[in-house]
Amino acid sequence: MSIGRDGIAGLVLLAISLVLLVKSFQLPSLPIVPVGPGFYPAIVLSFMAAASALLVLQDLMKGRPAAAAAATVTPSRNYRLVAIAFAIVGAYVVLLPLLGFRLATVLFVGALQAALGRPQTARQWTVLAAIAIGTAMVSYFIFERYLLVLLPRGAWTGF
Amino acid sequence: MLDLLWHGLVNVAQWKYLFPLFAGTFIGVIGGSLPGVTITMTVIVVLPFTYGLDPLAGLAAMTGVYVGGSTGGLIACCLLGIPGSPASIATTFDGFPMARNGEPGRAIWLGVWASVWGGLLGALFLVFLTGPLAAIALEFGPWEYFSLFVLAMAMVAGLTESSLLKGLISTAIGLLITVVGHDPIGSVPRFTFGSEFIGGGFPFLPVLIGIFAFAQIMTDLEKLDGSRGQPAQSLAGVRLERFSHLKVNIEIFRQPFLLAWATIVGLIIGILPAIGGSASSVMAYDQAKKFSKTPQLFGKGHPEGIIASEASNNANVSGSLMTIMAFGIPGDAVTAVMLGAMTIHGIQSGPLFISQNPDLAYGIYAAYILAHPCMLLICVALMPLMLRVTSVRMAVLAPVVLVLCVVGAYALNNTMQSVYVLLLFGVVGYVLVKLGFPLAPLILGLILGDQIEINLVRAIMTDPNPLLFLTRPISGVLLLAAVASVVLAIWQHLRHQNRVVEEEPDF
Repeated sequence: MSIGRDGIAGLVLLAISLVLLVKSFQLPSLPIVPVGPGFYPAIVLSFMAAASALLVLQDLMKGRPAAAAAATVTPSRNYRLVAIAFAIVGAYVVLLPLLGFRLATVLFVGALQAALGRPQTARQWTVLAAIAIGTAMVSYFIFERYLLVLLPRGAWTGF
Repeated sequence: MLDLLWHGLVNVAQWKYLFPLFAGTFIGVIGGSLPGVTITMTVIVVLPFTYGLDPLAGLAAMTGVYVGGSTGGLIACCLLGIPGSPASIATTFDGFPMARNGEPGRAIWLGVWASVWGGLLGALFLVFLTGPLAAIALEFGPWEYFSLFVLAMAMVAGLTESSLLKGLISTAIGLLITVVGHDPIGSVPRFTFGSEFIGGGFPFLPVLIGIFAFAQIMTDLEKLDGSRGQPAQSLAGVRLERFSHLKVNIEIFRQPFLLAWATIVGLIIGILPAIGGSASSVMAYDQAKKFSKTPQLFGKGHPEGIIASEASNNANVSGSLMTIMAFGIPGDAVTAVMLGAMTIHGIQSGPLFISQNPDLAYGIYAAYILAHPCMLLICVALMPLMLRVTSVRMAVLAPVVLVLCVVGAYALNNTMQSVYVLLLFGVVGYVLVKLGFPLAPLILGLILGDQIEINLVRAIMTDPNPLLFLTRPISGVLLLAAVASVVLAIWQHLRHQNRVVEEEPDF
């Protein structure tokens, strides 16, 4: 009997539910309300804990397919690209209040485009830069000038 | 009522409403026709543009996106053999074979016209049935609302194809997100761990955008290496053959029962909380096949399949709008975003919405009706552009969509906190998808969480007897239906498993 991905996910969710369930019992009760602030979360968390425990059980009782057989049906996935994309989005979110919307957006759109499909020729690089600058400028003008949404200014650049 | 509708139509026909409606419909058609971009994603992209607009203008733009997106999806279905948006999934079954048989124009325009007629038939129900539905909703007490929400969640979790358990856990995660922050009765902080960041709870829209948009974009990026080009049999960039719009319409109206029934199926699926266009498209297709005199032709380019799927997914929009306007609960993820936009503008949706905001309510009806001619006009004028748009690369699309997601989160209250929440839940959404947890139940839990708690506590404060949830007739029936829905899902799952076990010896 071995534990699979569902079982591990179930165990993590079970642990989270139980920790928060204990926390919900520690919430203070209110004098005028018949049920305290922990009443509803306790119901949700008990339900989640029970369902997570069942998921672990279901996973433990399930037979595992041979690894080789599973590998033949799983399509190839580019998880490296997803990790890079998340890293670029993370950097954008960090840089946004430091560089300001316009500069950070140009860098973000350019970097993500390059990561997703690296340009090979000077023309492709020009198109990439044009899309990056265009996205930043068009969204800036529409939101700031016409929709009166104040976009982040850079703490480092003041821009 | 007709006076109010006429007033609404005249009102929305003004430039300040017509322009956002037209722009929204255009973006909806384009977004719908891009494979991998759903209508929800398109409406999320449009959301920040509506913050600064008049409430009706913003809602008109979103209604346009919804109608346009429901139709736009068929272009990718017919030319690429993959649905542009999940709402068009069943159009692929016959649209692509018909296009490959040398009739891409007939396939696309059958779909467009069926969308128009299905949508306009749905408008009749929207205009005349929303009021009576709201009157029924007025009879609802907290017990009935609580039970209705439980039914909605049970149905969505039950519809999960992979695992009912995962659907239920996903619902619970959605509900759990809503309890973080101050409780709605006594403002006692819950699960904040002393952090100011989550002291006020997680704002709804950044969580929704993060979970939905990131999970979808990142899942698409995984496949980039394998599918940089178009599918092998793609017809992208093809020139449409000469055909007659009149003939296409005659073909549709030669089968009035099919059109009417597909519309009704779409409408009912739309009214049921949180079940989206994909279910209506598939269900109407299935019904059309069952009632057809030539079921053997389905899947080989049969016009009935296209008509049923497209009429149904546009009628589904009217059903979803009915639910949000009569009950104040979203019919699907798109109307959830609309509900969020209404909240930003200080509009309370629910049974009193129509009587308290008649201009807005009839304005939404009018926007829905006028979105159809707008959509038709856009399709007629810009079809060559739309035939090319299906081949836009993800490398260009993803950064632009993500920028708009970030702006949408930031512009909610002009703080970076919402952007951090967006990123956090982007990661959570992606991880959940990779672990096989469906997102639809989570989003429903997220949408209904606050309301469930408020109605539960309100019911107990009114009368602490918990049996009232079962003994009040409407509440009892709704809870019974919820249990039946879960039991049915378990039965279907077991039956499927048995069938798999029985089939195994054949291999």
